[in-house]
Formats: sequence, structure tokens, C-alpha cells
Amino acid sequence: MNKQIILIGLNHRTAGVDVREKFALTDIENFEQGLMAHCPVQECLALSTCNRVEIVAVAKKIPVPAVMDAVAEYWAMACGGSVELLTENIYRYADLEAVRHIFSVASSLDSMVMGEPQILGQLKDAYRSAVDKGTAKTIVNRLLHKSFSVAKRIRTETAIASSAVSISYAAVELARKIFGDLKPTRAMLVGAGEMAELAATHLLRNGVKEIIIANRTLSRAKELAESLGGEPIQIEAMPDRLHEVDIVISSTGSPVAVIKAKDVKAVLRKRKNKPMFFIDIAVPRDIDPDVNALDNVYLYDIDDLKEVVDENMAQRQGEATKARAVVDLETETFGNWLNSLNIQPTIVDLVGKSEDVAMRELAKTLKKIGPVDERTHNALERLVLSIAHKSLHEPICFLKRRTQEEGSAERFIDLARRIFNLDEESVPKNAHLDRKSATCAPEDIEQYIEVSKKEQ
Amino acid sequence: MGLFETLHIVIIALYALGTVLFLTSVFTENDRLKRTAIWLAVLGFTFNTVDLGLTLSRDPAALSGGTFYFNIIGWCALALYFFLWWRLRLEYLAITALPFALLLFVASLALGGIRVIMPPQLTALFFGLHIGSLVLTLGALIMAFGAGVAFLYYNRKLKTKEGLKAMGQSIPSLDKFDTVNRWAVLIGFPLYTLGLFSTFSWYLIAPFKPFAWDIMKIGSLAVWFLFAFLFHQRVVLGWRGRKPAILALWVFAGMCVSLIHHTITFKAMP
Repeated sequence: MNKQIILIGLNHRTAGVDVREKFALTDIENFEQGLMAHCPVQECLALSTCNRVEIVAVAKKIPVPAVMDAVAEYWAMACGGSVELLTENIYRYADLEAVRHIFSVASSLDSMVMGEPQILGQLKDAYRSAVDKGTAKTIVNRLLHKSFSVAKRIRTETAIASSAVSISYAAVELARKIFGDLKPTRAMLVGAGEMAELAATHLLRNGVKEIIIANRTLSRAKELAESLGGEPIQIEAMPDRLHEVDIVISSTGSPVAVIKAKDVKAVLRKRKNKPMFFIDIAVPRDIDPDVNALDNVYLYDIDDLKEVVDENMAQRQGEATKARAVVDLETETFGNWLNSLNIQPTIVDLVGKSEDVAMRELAKTLKKIGPVDERTHNALERLVLSIAHKSLHEPICFLKRRTQEEGSAERFIDLARRIFNLDEESVPKNAHLDRKSATCAPEDIEQYIEVSKKEQ
Repeated sequence: MGLFETLHIVIIALYALGTVLFLTSVFTENDRLKRTAIWLAVLGFTFNTVDLGLTLSRDPAALSGGTFYFNIIGWCALALYFFLWWRLRLEYLAITALPFALLLFVASLALGGIRVIMPPQLTALFFGLHIGSLVLTLGALIMAFGAGVAFLYYNRKLKTKEGLKAMGQSIPSLDKFDTVNRWAVLIGFPLYTLGLFSTFSWYLIAPFKPFAWDIMKIGSLAVWFLFAFLFHQRVVLGWRGRKPAILALWVFAGMCVSLIHHTITFKAMP
């Protein structure tokens, strides 16, 4: 490869939050432009999130460690941190390893919560800013577009992102399994704990129509109602309003159960047996466990939800194996594309030389036949160029196929350049004394063709 | 092999393949396989419709011959399934509809020798009201059966905290299964009432057929009372979920027994 992809970065696994904070990039656009100006790189992209900071760059074929060191130095300087501290905490990847890593990051295989969707959005933002500033060119463009499609493919073909891995999201998923569409449902928050608030936020985001917040302190209920857009009530009024809601999230911190089975039984009669879903996040529990024995009532406490989350985490780990296989396959495909980049100059030279020859021969022919009108001239020009291009079609296809093969690209490109003498090397007169001279005039070739025809 | 034999083999093959693929897709959670299975069922249903159409155009009396009304029940169950698929996005119910359609179609061929002879002047009325409404009821109950079994199974999973693991991404919500049950009861009970009492009326107006209680009529009436109870509890008292699902299974089982008994013991009219 004439150009190399390098990647250096740190994440939640290699560096603590203090180090990540120190080396976080706040002004990414200026950083990227500065990196292009100060380091021997032709393209670059920087990604900075709370869990990772990564720099992808493309450099000409010079020793990779030197480029990485230069990028790391500039990074440390830009953040006002020490290079030693940075190099202690970073990981470095080059070429296909870098490609594989970017694909894994985009597919959230490298995230703290595997399968989380945020990273793809953050990577898209980083890419947009690199495009705006012109630091993303041929290779970074292709690499990022490919990483988005890999991420999409993994989301489609595996269940890596399909299961809930947080308590609040698990509650939403369970609610969906009971009610299906959450749009017509109403929820009640009993108590105003942090986790209950998070679950309520998730429910509202997923379409729950309305929320009632019941709390001992009405002012806190009002405060929360304002931020969530619900109705605040005193906790004493909760039993009378229970029949209005389908989902109840409880986290009061009361030492005794605040919702009992007999109360729920009465509520169900009022509701004409419409199902209810109780989420008890409190420890000790707020809701009498016997509630779960009632028909059309589902009760999940914090341990049940944790179990769901743990199961889903295990399932995601299993899906990660499938996802990694996709990443490997796509990395190989991308490697083939990178290899094909090496052949582009050779193809350009080959076509150029061939067109040159065709145009020279056309000029000679036109001299012989005398002046022709413009239409004929253009037709002849098109004819000779078409012959030149078509005669090269098969060799170019052959070369392209060879570049897809591991390790054979360089050899075939070199061979093609020598066969067609694309580098215009002069062959010494005394070369290959034991053989006929390799250089020959066009007339010799014509003579050779004539003899061959007669022999046939 | 004639056109009909070929058509029957094609229909059986499509229904069987659809059934196998759908069951496999449920266990493997493969959506593509599921879609393929359903489209095979659509194709089978189309051929089945053609088969019924050809049979009736060739011999309109076949309708009163009773040789293929199992086939009509299977066809009707699938038609209702497609309706539910369209309205409720409940493709999952193919787990019931497809095996039943296959079973009923094969049964219709196997029971081809049974003939039900009715007085020509009453054929249209009798078949239209009695057979037609019962066939539709059975189709609705087949759907209710599938939805009921699914409801009970997944309800138990949610109650025992196996919820999300047991209910994969493609499994509909409990509410959807309950909705199917509600529709089946709301549509099925009036139809069953019409089907049952139209035959009693027929006995009253047919001078050559004196009415007498027999096991078939008692069984049918028992099923009607059970169905009436389910209808009352569901519509008037607002029953939902587990209890109506269990009752629907009993009604369906009772109706199946009644139908099989009816098929085996029905005697030709004098």
C-alpha cells in the first residue's frame, strides 16, 4: 500500500476517567486542521466522547511508529498534557488492524455497553466535521462510509442491540410485551427516586400518554412533574387514582408496602380487568409480592429487572461473536479496496501510454492519406482510442483481480509496469546477450506477425 | 394424474412447507423464513380458492354433497388469519392457522366419501345459514385457539419472570393475543347462535324430518351454553386475559368434538 491508515486512541478500558478528561478534544475541527499542518498525514479524523478519544489518520509510506509518535505528540501538546502519560494509556493500530478497530467501534462492539446505539451517531458527527473542514478525503471517506454500513449490517443481522441492558429500558421492554403499543397507556410514579425518574423518562420517550407523580413532598412532585410533563399529587391520593393508570413505578423508601394485593384487586374491578404493570424499584419493596398472583397484573421488582438485564448482557456477548465475524469479513473486503488503490496509477499510465501510441499512429496515417474533413477525423480518432481502450480491457481486469489476492498485488503491478515499460526504463544494449534483444522496432513486430500468419 | 389431483398435491405441499418453515422461523427467530412461510401459505390459499371454485363450477351440487366442507373450514380459517394479519399485524397466528388448514384440507380429501344429502328446496337456506355460519365460527375459534394458547404460555412466562428472554423480538404483546380472543368471541358467538338455531328452525319447517333430541344436538347445545357464558363474561363483565383464553380453548375443543361427531354420524336424508 502506498498509503497507510493509522489509529491511536484511548478508551474506558485503557485509561481512567481522569486521563480521558485530560486528553479529551474539545475543539476537534481546529485539532484536525492543526494535525494536518504539523504531522506527516494526508487525511485525518478525530473522535472524542466521554468513553473514548481516537484519531484516525492516513499517511504516506513512511515508518508507521514515527507517524504515530508525531500524532501522539501533537495530541498531547494540543491538550496541554504530557506525552509520556498519553503514550502509557493509548493503543495503536495500523492498516487493517485500524480498519477492524473502527468497524468494531462503529458497531459498538468496543463500547462499555455493547450494542449501545449512541456511538454510531457520535462517529457520524465526527465524520461530518472532518468533511466540513476537508480533513477527510478518499480513504477516510470510504473507511467511515463502510463503517456505517458495517454497523447497520450488524444491527440487522445480529441481535446485538435488540435486548434491554439497563433497568429502565428493561421496564419499557416488558411494558411493550404486556401492552404492545404504549401510546394509549398512562403511568404513575410513586415516590421520586432517581431510578424511578429514569424509568419514567424512558416510558414517556417511548410513547406513554400521561404520567402522574405521587410523592410525600408535593413540592418535589411538582418539580418532577414540571421536568417530565406530568401531574403531581400527594401520595395519600395515590390509591384513589391507581385505577386510572396502566403502569406503576414505585420507589418510596417506605419500610412497609404501600400497595397491597387487596387494594389492587379492587382497582382491577374498577378497571374492568385491564392489565396493570407494577415496577417496584424500592428496597425494601413497596408493593406486596402477592400482587403478582392476581390475573392481568404483572409485578417486577429490582431483582427481577436486574436478572433480565444480566440475561440480555449474556445474550449480547453471544451475538458479539457473530458481529465480529462480520467485522472480519468486511475488513478483508476493505483491504481489497485499499489494494486496488495501488493499481490506479498503473492503470492511468497504461491507458495514457496506449492512447499516446494510438494518437501517434493516427497522425502517421492521416499524413499518408492526406487531409480529411472534421467529421471523418473525429470518427477516426474515436476509432483508434476505442481500439486502444478495448485492447487494454482484459489486462486491466486481470490486474484488478490479482490485486484482490493476498500478497500478489505488488508483484503483478511491477510486472505490468515492466511489460508495458511504463517507467520508460532504457534497456542497456548488452542486456541479455544470450537472447535476442528485448527492444525491437514496430517494423520488426509487423514482420514477425506476417511470418507467423504465413506459417499458419 | 389429473388437474385436481395435481392441484391437491400442490396445495398440501405448500401448506406443509409453510407450516414447517413457520414453526422453524418461530424457534430460530428468523423473520425472512417467517415471511417466506406466510407467502407460501398465501400461494396455497390461492390454489385452494381455485380448487374450490373449480369444484363448484364443475358441480354446483358439490356444495350440498358435503364432501369437502372440511376444506371450506380450513380455507375459512386461513382467510380469517389473513384478515387478522392485515388488521392486527399478527403474523404469529400462522402457528395455528397453517397446521389447521393443512389438517382440514387433508381431512377433506380423506373424508371425501362421506355424503350429506339434503332436500334440494332447503339446501340454500340450510347451507347458507347453518353450515356457512358454523364454518365462520370455527375459523374464528381456530384463531382464538392459537391466540389463547399463546396468551397462556407467554402470560405464564411473564408471571414467572422469564418475560423478555422467552418473548423474543417477533412475539406480539399479550394485549394483541387478548384482542384476537375478544374478536373471536364477539364475532363467533352470534354466528354460532345463528348456525345452531337455523338448523333447529329447519327441523320445524321440514315436515319429513321430525325433531328429536340426540347426542349431537345436546353436545352442540352444551357448546353453545359454554360459548354464551364466555360471551357474557367477556362482553358484560369485562373479563380479559387468562380466563377467557382458557374458556375459548374449551369452546373450541367442544366444537371440534361436535364437528367430528357430526361428520361421522350424520346420516343421509330420506
